[in-house]
Amino acid sequence: MRNLMTIPLATMLAAPAVAQSRAITYTEFDLDNGLHVILHEDHSTPIVAVSVMYHVGSKNETKDRRGFAHFFEHLLFEGSENIGRGEFSKHVEKAGGVLNANTTGDRTYYYEVLPSNQLELGLWLESERMLHAKVDQKGVDTQREVVKEERRQRYENQPYGSILIEVLKRAYTVHPYQWPTIGFMEDLNAASETDYVNFYKQFYVPNNAVLVVAGDIDPTTCKALVGRYFGDIPRGKEVVQPTAIEPPLKGVIRDVIHDRIQLPAVVTAYRIPANGTKEFYAVDLVNRLLSNGNSSRLNVALKEEQQKAVYVGAFSLPFEHPGLAIHFAIANAGVDVVELERAMDSELGRIQKLGVPEAELAKLKAQLETEYIADNSRVAGVANNLATAYTMLGGTEQVNTELDKYLAVTVEELRQAAVDHFSTNDRVVLHYLPLSQKQP
Amino acid sequence: MNRGTPSDRSTRIGVLLAVGLLAPVLMNAQIDRSAPPKPGPAPAVDLGEHHTFTLKNGFRVIVVENHKLPMVNVQVRFDIPPIVQGEKAGYIDFLGDLLASGTATRTKAQMDEQVDQLGATLAATNDGLYASSLKKNLPALMTLVQDVVTGPTFQETEFEKVRTRTRSAIQQRKEEPDAIAEVVGRAVTYGRVHPYGEVMTERTLESISTKHIKAYYDLFFRPEKGYLVFVGDITEKEAKDLAQEHFGGWRPDRPVTSMNDDGSESMEGLGKVRIMPKLATPGGVRRVFVVDRPGSPQSVVRVGFPLNLQPRDIRALSAQVLNTILGGGVFNARLMQNLREDKGWTYGAYSTMESDRFNGHFQASVSVRTAVTDSAVAEIIKELERLRNEPVSDEELDLAKRYMAGSFARGLEDPRTVARFALNTYLNELAPDHYATYLERLEGITTVDVQAAAQAFLHPDQAIILVVGDLASFDVELAALSRDRSNPIMQLDENGAPWEEDITPVTDRKAEDIIEGYLKAIGGRNLVGQVKDMHRVMTVQRGDKELKVSEWFGPDGHYRSETTLGDQRTELLVHDGLRAGRTDAQGQVELTDVDLQDLQFNAVPVRESDLVGRLDRMVLAGRTEVEGKDAYKVILMTQHGTTVADYFDVATGLKVKRVEQKFMNGSNQRITTTYGDHRSVGGVQFPYRIGQTGGTLGRVQFTVTELDVNKGVLPALFTTGLPPIVEPTEFETDPDGYNGIEGQ
Repeated sequence: MRNLMTIPLATMLAAPAVAQSRAITYTEFDLDNGLHVILHEDHSTPIVAVSVMYHVGSKNETKDRRGFAHFFEHLLFEGSENIGRGEFSKHVEKAGGVLNANTTGDRTYYYEVLPSNQLELGLWLESERMLHAKVDQKGVDTQREVVKEERRQRYENQPYGSILIEVLKRAYTVHPYQWPTIGFMEDLNAASETDYVNFYKQFYVPNNAVLVVAGDIDPTTCKALVGRYFGDIPRGKEVVQPTAIEPPLKGVIRDVIHDRIQLPAVVTAYRIPANGTKEFYAVDLVNRLLSNGNSSRLNVALKEEQQKAVYVGAFSLPFEHPGLAIHFAIANAGVDVVELERAMDSELGRIQKLGVPEAELAKLKAQLETEYIADNSRVAGVANNLATAYTMLGGTEQVNTELDKYLAVTVEELRQAAVDHFSTNDRVVLHYLPLSQKQP
Repeated sequence: MNRGTPSDRSTRIGVLLAVGLLAPVLMNAQIDRSAPPKPGPAPAVDLGEHHTFTLKNGFRVIVVENHKLPMVNVQVRFDIPPIVQGEKAGYIDFLGDLLASGTATRTKAQMDEQVDQLGATLAATNDGLYASSLKKNLPALMTLVQDVVTGPTFQETEFEKVRTRTRSAIQQRKEEPDAIAEVVGRAVTYGRVHPYGEVMTERTLESISTKHIKAYYDLFFRPEKGYLVFVGDITEKEAKDLAQEHFGGWRPDRPVTSMNDDGSESMEGLGKVRIMPKLATPGGVRRVFVVDRPGSPQSVVRVGFPLNLQPRDIRALSAQVLNTILGGGVFNARLMQNLREDKGWTYGAYSTMESDRFNGHFQASVSVRTAVTDSAVAEIIKELERLRNEPVSDEELDLAKRYMAGSFARGLEDPRTVARFALNTYLNELAPDHYATYLERLEGITTVDVQAAAQAFLHPDQAIILVVGDLASFDVELAALSRDRSNPIMQLDENGAPWEEDITPVTDRKAEDIIEGYLKAIGGRNLVGQVKDMHRVMTVQRGDKELKVSEWFGPDGHYRSETTLGDQRTELLVHDGLRAGRTDAQGQVELTDVDLQDLQFNAVPVRESDLVGRLDRMVLAGRTEVEGKDAYKVILMTQHGTTVADYFDVATGLKVKRVEQKFMNGSNQRITTTYGDHRSVGGVQFPYRIGQTGGTLGRVQFTVTELDVNKGVLPALFTTGLPPIVEPTEFETDPDGYNGIEGQ
């Protein structure tokens, strides 16, 4: 059942952690135009990761252009003043490299991993993208269709694929997190040339981005090259981030979703503090306690002992503004969703009432420590973590202090987080049922 | 075929995104932005090194030292040939779930707890396990690794838990298009009796017992068949000590097996173990398989065939270059550029060319919106043909080679890659310098090599096409891509077996009751019986033209239908009560035999009101579903030998679907007609929405625009225009065989 986890949730797992003993070294500086630059030197393999994180995601969209940030990510592979349609990826692949990008509610991330002698190529490509990207009508039309297929493939033609969309629209009422990053096709159809130009002007400016170069580099040379390729890109207007404050969830929002599934599922969602806050780490530990590893609470209780579920998962959506914890269980054949929901609640209740033994918390911390090492074992991962720490967590050094924040959480704080943020009286509850159970 | 092409506007409409006039600041003389910067000197690629040694019991150990991170990865792998599992298909997959689910010294709960306490990972598979931990926890982890590999007890309770979950998983799989495509794709590529094509089903799941799993374990999990791999922050000496400590004394009893006359091996508890099945290779004609998912927004498409392609085959590397050019990971691959970047039909299109020491395969895969399903398949076939027929360009070859060289170097960032190379060298019996010479061999590959590989390993004419999607939306077009005339589309179920309708028997009523119920639902036998004549017009838009079918039903089986496309009449069909003629662009033909009898059976306003003497038999097959609604299925076997299946909605009693099998244009066709939007005319309900697939009109969804009952029809309409039959009153048989014609 490994494939049961849907992509949208899987890609939103909690941010990586960090160990003090294995600090990631880096240098950082700002260019005059406001571009923040982070360099990480590691000569173990002759490769280099070049990446740019723009502080723009679907929460920066207007309500009639939902999905625009992600659509825009697709468009920014189309070319530039000096790069024709389709040439962007060709330059990278001809150099023996790989490239990709991804978008979340909060940021958009582009990267290339290249042989280290092609560092300058990576800088040229990313600076072209930042300076004067260019898209023709064929590109716009094609990518709009591609994004529609992406939506169908990931969300519409997958069992339980709509979970994130259904949860977000109930968990938020005023904040733009209420719509998914993939957006809605009618909005993309409605987008016009003015929208593209304005979005680019507003968000794709050096003062709204961080450039990370990680790998087999000489920082001094690299710094000079960065200046040459990015120094002349004009600073843009100050980017204003959305200020909508979502009022607390009061009460239970309960719904039934009929989907093309065989096994019913229970989804619960709780509003949690923003990523990077002290409370976030305690909340994330509650989720890890519930479903990280075979000996985690939900796995043992629901899958092994009671055999009520074939799959359980508890995730934190590590959003920049207050996010969500989502708990998800797929019922074993013949198990009723009400019974499954009760079993999930009972595990939560145990934590709230009895707390967690020191040994169990130590286990979670041991897992985090290993994860941190594995997560920083490749330069592409390090680049991503550095960019994320700078953009989302309040500073690059968070890459080295995040693990400590997890390790500092006490058993009492964990229990308190379970009480404060996982109230069964204030949450979204969705029952996913097979279409055949729909009343005509 | 190019339905769904986003836009024909290929001309650039100008700069949409260029912002500001930046020319002045770009006067920086130091950089020329107009062309990509030149690379520096290419860095050397360090393949890394490994050590190997063998324990006295035959267990081989591979060590890759890499002290960058304080972590160690451990892998145990047994060299197991694929075997046929037969009626207990799937039992091998239980091994992965059960190995770490209880040993002589630890329960599953204890094992899970200890792994997690170490912050380690430990994942068992059906041929070994993977584990990892921080270096400081490695000794403790190795104790667990040893326990899982040498001491599993295959407890019944744990087995039953896994079986329960697997039962649910098999059920759930039926709603996962990608999972269906994966399972059924292997089944149609290799065949369901091949180890790589066998499918675990609800039935085989119930035949599995711990006895099978235990026997398989005893046979194949043995030191002399095993490899122990350490990668990471460990020295050769440390690895030796750990290997010796945990596996040096492992000497399991040899299981008793016997050889059979056919060369296979039998074993107590496991039965016959056929070590090597027949090699599957491309053959036959191009065939099409479909797993139907009505209403599916996308079609999951797989085009593939089995291959005899061994990893040590000298052509294996050209085959990989070929696959990179076609669809193997690069964005500039042909499938991606064609189906995504040019057509906008998909999020991604890929291909794999899997070399395998037992039986390789090729597979192209894409998920496309339903409307372009057959077009996507046609494009994939076209790309395979193009690679066979034309050499690739130097530029494409160059990109593929440089990309592969880059991937090779990037892969070495992970020290496990070095260990994987070593393990592959042993398992696949590769030359010792296989990986050391990789880049050099890659560099030497030419466009001639690539085309030779295409001709050896791409088989568009023998391709096995699998689509998981809404069959009714593409059946006609997809059937045209099949080369199997007797069965253009083979419909399969989610387990890859021939599709059979899911029918629940009904015992409390008979077919006659359903027909009576239907007549009642549409107005009652009495009112229906009063329908003497009828005129009906139905239309549908075809491109910029209207397709129109006008029908007149007269007394005594008189019938006329005219089909027009725009102002062109494409078909005229007239039945005068005795004879019938069809006229189209090719002229007129008289309908005879079954064709005439079929027309006579069907060409009445409501056939169900008068079945007397027309049926051989009528059977209520049972209850099933039509578009998500319960329906009775009634099978009518006519006097003239044809069979049709009619479906009646359980709730409304109305007829919602008819399925007929017909032999047309040299192949068997399945014609499906659907009925909806019933409206009352003179108190009788008639369908105003009539859809059909598989007939001469292809897929159509008609709307009835006129329907008159008992308004009278002109007798002249039913003149067939057929030449009169000259019936000889007498036959004079000439003894010499002449027919009385003599002299001129």
